[in-house]
Amino acid sequence: MSRKNNQENDPPEKKFETISGLPLKEIYWPEDLPPGFSPREDLGQAGRPPYVRGAYPGMYRNQPWRIFMLTGAGSIGQARDRVAYAVSQGGSGFICETDMSTWLMMNVDHPEVLARKQDVGWYGAPVQSLDDYRDYWGRLPIGEMYCHLGAVLPQMTPYFMSCFFTLLEERKVPLAKVNSTGQGDFFITYISILSPYLVPPQAGLKLNCDAVEYAVQHAPRLTPVSIAGNNIRECGANAYQEMAAILSCAVAYIEEILNRGNLKIDEFASAIGGVNLSTGSDFFEDIAKFRAMRRMWYKLLKRYGAEDPRSLRLRIHGLPLGSIYTFQQPLNNIVRGTYTVLAAILGGAQSIGTPSFDEAICTPTKLAHTTAMRTQQILMEESNVASVIDPLGGSYFIEALTDQVEAKAWEFFDRIAAQGGFIKALDSGWLQTEVAREAAEAVRKIERGERRIVGVNCHEMEEEPYEFEPFRPDPNTWRLAMESLERVRRDRDNVRAEKAKTDLVRALEKGENTMTATIEAAKALVTVGEIGDLYRDFFGRWSVPSLPGLG
Amino acid sequence: MPKGSRIIKVIIGKTGIDGHWRGVQAVAAALRDAGMEVIYVGSLTAEAVVKSAIQEDADVIGLNVGASYEQIEELIRLLKENNMSDILVMVGGVIPRVDVPRLKEMGVHGVFPPGSRLDDIVKFVEQNVRSVG
Repeated sequence: MSRKNNQENDPPEKKFETISGLPLKEIYWPEDLPPGFSPREDLGQAGRPPYVRGAYPGMYRNQPWRIFMLTGAGSIGQARDRVAYAVSQGGSGFICETDMSTWLMMNVDHPEVLARKQDVGWYGAPVQSLDDYRDYWGRLPIGEMYCHLGAVLPQMTPYFMSCFFTLLEERKVPLAKVNSTGQGDFFITYISILSPYLVPPQAGLKLNCDAVEYAVQHAPRLTPVSIAGNNIRECGANAYQEMAAILSCAVAYIEEILNRGNLKIDEFASAIGGVNLSTGSDFFEDIAKFRAMRRMWYKLLKRYGAEDPRSLRLRIHGLPLGSIYTFQQPLNNIVRGTYTVLAAILGGAQSIGTPSFDEAICTPTKLAHTTAMRTQQILMEESNVASVIDPLGGSYFIEALTDQVEAKAWEFFDRIAAQGGFIKALDSGWLQTEVAREAAEAVRKIERGERRIVGVNCHEMEEEPYEFEPFRPDPNTWRLAMESLERVRRDRDNVRAEKAKTDLVRALEKGENTMTATIEAAKALVTVGEIGDLYRDFFGRWSVPSLPGLG
Repeated sequence: MPKGSRIIKVIIGKTGIDGHWRGVQAVAAALRDAGMEVIYVGSLTAEAVVKSAIQEDADVIGLNVGASYEQIEELIRLLKENNMSDILVMVGGVIPRVDVPRLKEMGVHGVFPPGSRLDDIVKFVEQNVRSVG
């Protein structure tokens, strides 16, 4: 499709396609619908196979999506106040973000952290023990409100789940009652962070599956792990790569747990059936992606013999991408937040978390955080978009795009399978390389001006129209964390702690489920750093073999 | 045009403890495309970066910063201590505009917040390498 203009040097012929490269016709007609399209069979009623129109009957008419915001940085006190604030402003769930040192299972006196004391608290609050966890979470309505238990990476899952369960026990909340979520995401760990202090992907799978098996028995309403597609997207993957990678990760869980022989598919599928899905710059492509994703999940679980609707129905947390937010003219990001939240609503997400407009500059300030929640609230209360289920269903364009994005996703899923499956594809660096290639192409498109971004390569401004003070963590964060660590070491029953560590190592050596031993370790005030060191000793450390452009 | 006939050697690393790589990948690729030799050292402390720079006989150090500037301050101090102030130092990453003057005062030669054009970074290196300190 060429554009006519009178300039001497014509710009390159404009291709109309989605951001992931799917071709876009000028206009769509009934003949563009998938061949033999039969809405009731191919889409299903909301809450019925194949779930394209929505995971649940009634959808938002029965219950609005959950406003589920990532929150918390600085010292534990600073972070706790911000989470409480978010809840007071209408957050209907909460996520207490922890520091990067915590993600790497390091105490704040690990040499790598000591060299960077001022960095502690930038991304989240450092949590080193059950005492810190209780301090951060203590006053929040856990057990009554949906929350993320704090395990971002697989290596965090058993310990943080242990802290969560212990806290619930202390608060006399029955585990069977608790409706909340873990994460333990492979994408952020093995594609995004790439620290040399990670346990290998296979170890991450073992730790997550220990937690899934335990949770299924003791906390059946908990979602112990959550595959976070947004994380692979933030690294540069496109829409269908995101879909395929999520499904491949699910296969890794399913096969590992089935191999263990303790649970049948319908006993654990819903425990892995709550995922994150991104919404980004391409509005319609991501809506189609949500719809296709639910159908793909249904088909995949049927292949494994699942029959229970709870296994077959995919629950989605919609996450607008922070990486599309610009550093330049940051108030423009409020608009980006609005349309990406709208895409998640039209895609039928069960919960949504908006990045804040200052995302590209700093960890969210209070004002930006509030505005991000108001974005969801305005769409919920004022726009009437939630009154009809799957309102874009039946659109010739959307149905064609839903099918096309599904087809591309299955292709990439097969390519991951050809690498030996998800874990092998990560371990070898293959998946990271594919994602990095896509990321590099995106950079080229932006530098060439083929992909236009307001404020970055068009409508730029020499002088920023406004300035504001970025968020800075409490400068005492490291010192306060160090004091807490010293207090724990001094006051805990060290005999009990040492025994707990020994027992955990024994459980690992025997190939047993490590949750019981980890719960005791958490109660004995074994610290995050000790668990991390123990894991690194046992499993070894992992590094990505190579990454394009970085050798 | 790069000064001298020797290939420009650039060390690219990250000061932070994590390894988010989209930014460093883009910069490393652009410098390589411009004919420079790029050595990616990962997430290293300032001390380790300086050791690398000595080992590799680097002309340029490019660091990604994502949080505090503690390591940058330490780097500049160590370079001075080791009589290596002729190495071109540039930083990039999520740097609020209000912090740019502070980094320049520290002794950083080039500061590249998000949105910096890759070819501006390349030009900066070509025009300033081996002519600082």
